[in-house]
Amino acid sequence: MLRFNHRVIRLLVPLLLLSMVLAACPAPAAAPAAEAPAASAPAGDASWWATAAAPYKGVTIRGVSESTPPSNYVKDVLAAQFTEATGITVEFETTSWDQMYDKAIKDMEAATGIYDFVYIEQDIIYAYLANDYLVDITQSLKDKPELKSADFDESKFTTFINYFKNADGDVFGVPMEAFVKVYLYRKDLFGDADAQAKFKEKYGRDLVPATTHAEYQEIADFFTEWGAGKDIWGTTVQGHTGHPASFYEFFESVAPTFGVYNWGINMENWKASEANGGTMNSAKAKAALNYWVGLLADAPPEATSSTWDEVGATFAAGRAAQGLVYGENAAWIATDPDKSKVVGNVGVALPPLEEGVMAEAEAGTGYIGYYDGGAFGIPHSSKNKEATLLWLQFIGQESVQADWAAAGSRVVMASTYDDPKIVEQDSKTDGYYTLLKDQGKLFAGAPPFPFHAAIREVIAPFIYQAIAGEITPDEALDQAAAAVDAELPKLGYGE
Amino acid sequence: MRSNRMGWGLLTPTLLILGITGLLPFFYVIYVGFHDWNIFATTGMTFSWANNYRRLVFDNDFLLSLWNTAKFTVWAVGSELVLGFVLAQTLTRDFWGKTFFRTIHSLPLMVAPIAVGAVWRLLNIPGFGPVPYFLDKWFGFEYLIGKYAGQAFATTVLMDIWHWTPFVTLTMLAGLTTLPKEPMEQAVVDGANRWQIFRHLTLPMMMPVILTTLFIRIMDALRIVDEVYMLTGGGPGAATRYIGLHIYRIVFPKTDYGYGSAMSLLTLYLTTVLCWLLFVGLAQNSKQKDGAA
Repeated sequence: MLRFNHRVIRLLVPLLLLSMVLAACPAPAAAPAAEAPAASAPAGDASWWATAAAPYKGVTIRGVSESTPPSNYVKDVLAAQFTEATGITVEFETTSWDQMYDKAIKDMEAATGIYDFVYIEQDIIYAYLANDYLVDITQSLKDKPELKSADFDESKFTTFINYFKNADGDVFGVPMEAFVKVYLYRKDLFGDADAQAKFKEKYGRDLVPATTHAEYQEIADFFTEWGAGKDIWGTTVQGHTGHPASFYEFFESVAPTFGVYNWGINMENWKASEANGGTMNSAKAKAALNYWVGLLADAPPEATSSTWDEVGATFAAGRAAQGLVYGENAAWIATDPDKSKVVGNVGVALPPLEEGVMAEAEAGTGYIGYYDGGAFGIPHSSKNKEATLLWLQFIGQESVQADWAAAGSRVVMASTYDDPKIVEQDSKTDGYYTLLKDQGKLFAGAPPFPFHAAIREVIAPFIYQAIAGEITPDEALDQAAAAVDAELPKLGYGE
Repeated sequence: MRSNRMGWGLLTPTLLILGITGLLPFFYVIYVGFHDWNIFATTGMTFSWANNYRRLVFDNDFLLSLWNTAKFTVWAVGSELVLGFVLAQTLTRDFWGKTFFRTIHSLPLMVAPIAVGAVWRLLNIPGFGPVPYFLDKWFGFEYLIGKYAGQAFATTVLMDIWHWTPFVTLTMLAGLTTLPKEPMEQAVVDGANRWQIFRHLTLPMMMPVILTTLFIRIMDALRIVDEVYMLTGGGPGAATRYIGLHIYRIVFPKTDYGYGSAMSLLTLYLTTVLCWLLFVGLAQNSKQKDGAA
C-alpha cells in the first residue's frame, strides 16, 4: 500500500498550481519577420498577396458576423481563397444577429482579443466609433504601405462607405454588404386574371403595386380574402413580439414612409415626445403605427413570431402577396428553386409613401426606407492586425464583388452594377439592382445614435405590447416617447 | 493535524479557481451595482450609491418579470413534482417495456437548454410548425404563441415540464427504491388501503427527497433563460419575460451594466431567501422525523 510522503505533496501542490497558471497564459504572438516586401503590386497580382502575407503565414485570424447570405459567402468562398493566396487561415463564425452583437461588443469592451475582425452593421458604427473600439484602417495602411494592396481602392466603393468613416474621412470598416429593404410583390398574383377582375370590380382601379398606404391596405385586404383557403395572405409583417425585428421594421421602414425620421428623436435637444420637440408620438407616427399594426389582420399567423428571416421564408413559401423584405434575401427568393417557391414571380418596387415624403427624400431632408448593410472592422484588441488588414483588403477587392453580389444580392461598389452576372440577375429579380443603383439615394441608414442599442431596448417593449394588443398604438408611442425622454439624459444626451 | 494540512493543500487549487471565477466576479458585480454604467453613455461609470436598488423597487417591468417568474415556477415545478412522482411510482413496478420507457423518458435531460428552445420553437412557430398546423386542422384551435400571452406562457411551462420531469422522476425513483418495505407491509396487514399508505407512510418518508428536488427545481426555474429566449424572446409583450431573460436584456442588448448588476444581486437575494425557507422546512422535517423515531 502506498503511503503519502508529505514532502512530496508539499512539492507537488505548488508545481500543480504553477502548471495551471502557465496553461492559462496566452501563447506569445509570433513576431513578424524583419524583412517587408517592396512596393504594392499591380491589381490582380496573386504573387503580391503571397509576398505581403509572408510574415504572417500560418497565422489564424478570427471573425464573427451574422449568418446571412453575404456573410456565408465570405465564410464558404472568400475565406478559402484568401487562405490559398496568403497562407493565413480565416476562422469565421457566423451566428444569430443577437449573438453576433453580444460576442463582438463583449470582446471589444473587455479587450479580450478573441476576434480579429467583427461585423459592424451600419446602425451600430456610431456606437463603436464613440467608444473607440475600432482600428483606423486608412491610417494603418498609411503607416504600413507594404501592406497596401493596389487592388484595394476606397474610392471605388459606393457612398455607403461614408457611414464607416470618421469626421476626418478615415475608414474604420470595409463595406461587405449593402442593400435596401424593398417592397416585394407577387407578379403572378398581381397578374392573375381572376384577381385583377375582382380587384377592379371591388376598388374601381387596376391591381398594380401600391404607391400609397391606402392602396397597400386595399391590396392586402383583397388578397387575404382572395387567398383564403389557399394559404395566401395580403402582406408580410415583421412583427415578432419579443425580438427587436419588429421595432426595426416599424422605425426604419414604415415610420419614414409617413414622414417620421430618425425614430422621431429630435437630434438638437435629444427629445422624443412631441411636447418636447420630438416626433415619436406625433400624429404622423401614430398614424404609421396604427397602419402597421392594422396590417397584422392581413398577415399570415407567423407574423407575430417573425423576424427578418421568417419574413423572407414566408414570402419565399408563397404565403404573402406583398411585403417589405430585406434586399439581401431578394436574390435567392427570386432565383433559387431549392429555397423558394416563387422563383420568377417576384416583383420589386419602391415602398408606398404618404404625400410629401418623396419630395423630402429627393430634397435630402427625409428618406423613404432603410439602407441596410455592414462592414468588417478590426478591434483595437485584435492580436493579428496586420494579417487582418490584408484580409479586409482582400474582400474589398473589385475582382471579388460580382460573384459575391450574385450570391448575396448586395452591392458595395459602383462597378458591380455593370458586371454581366449582376446584369443577368437584375433581369431575374425584376430590376432590384437597377432600383438599388438609381433609387438607393432615397433610402438612408440608421440615424447616427451612439446610444442606438440602449434606446432600442427602451422603445421595443412598447412596440411588442402594441402588436400583442395589450396597449393601443397611440398609447405605445406616448409611453415610448416618455421613456426615451427619461432615459436619454441618463446616457448623457440632453437634459 | 498533518491530515488537515494535506487536505487543505489538495483543496487549494480548486478553491483558487473558485475564488477567481466565482467570488471575484461576484464582488465585482456588487461594486458595479452601486454605479450608473452604460458603456454607450457619455457619462462613463459614476458612483450612484443605492440609486439602482431604489429604482428597482419602483420598476414595473422588473416587478412584472418577478411575478411572471413566480407564476412560471409554481406551475412548472408543481406539475413536474406531481408528474415526476407518479412516473416514479409507476417505474417501481414491473411492466413490459419499462427499461425502454425509462431510457426514452430520460433523453430530454441530455439536450442542452438552448437546443430545447430551438426545437420547441420549430414545433410551435405559427405557419411553419406542426403543432399549430394540426391543432388548427383537427380541432379548429388557433394556437399563436406570438400573439396570445396565455398560450405563450403555457407553452413555456410545458416545455420546462418536458425537459425537467425526467430529473424529478429519477430522483423520486431513487428515493422510492430506498424506502423500507416493512412499514408498508405492516400497514397492509393492519388493513390500510393504498391511499392511507401513501398519505401516512410513503409521503412523509419521501419528504426529504421531495423537498430537495423542489429546492433544486425552484432554483433552476428561477434562472430560466435559454429555452424561453429561443421560444418566445420574452413575448408577446412581456408575458414570458422572466427575470433571467429580463436581466439578460438589460445587461447585454441594453448594455446597462450598473442597473443589471443591481437587478442580478437583488434577484440572487430573493432566491437565497426562498431557498433558505425551503432549507429550514427541510431541516424542520428532518428534526420531526428524528424526534418521532
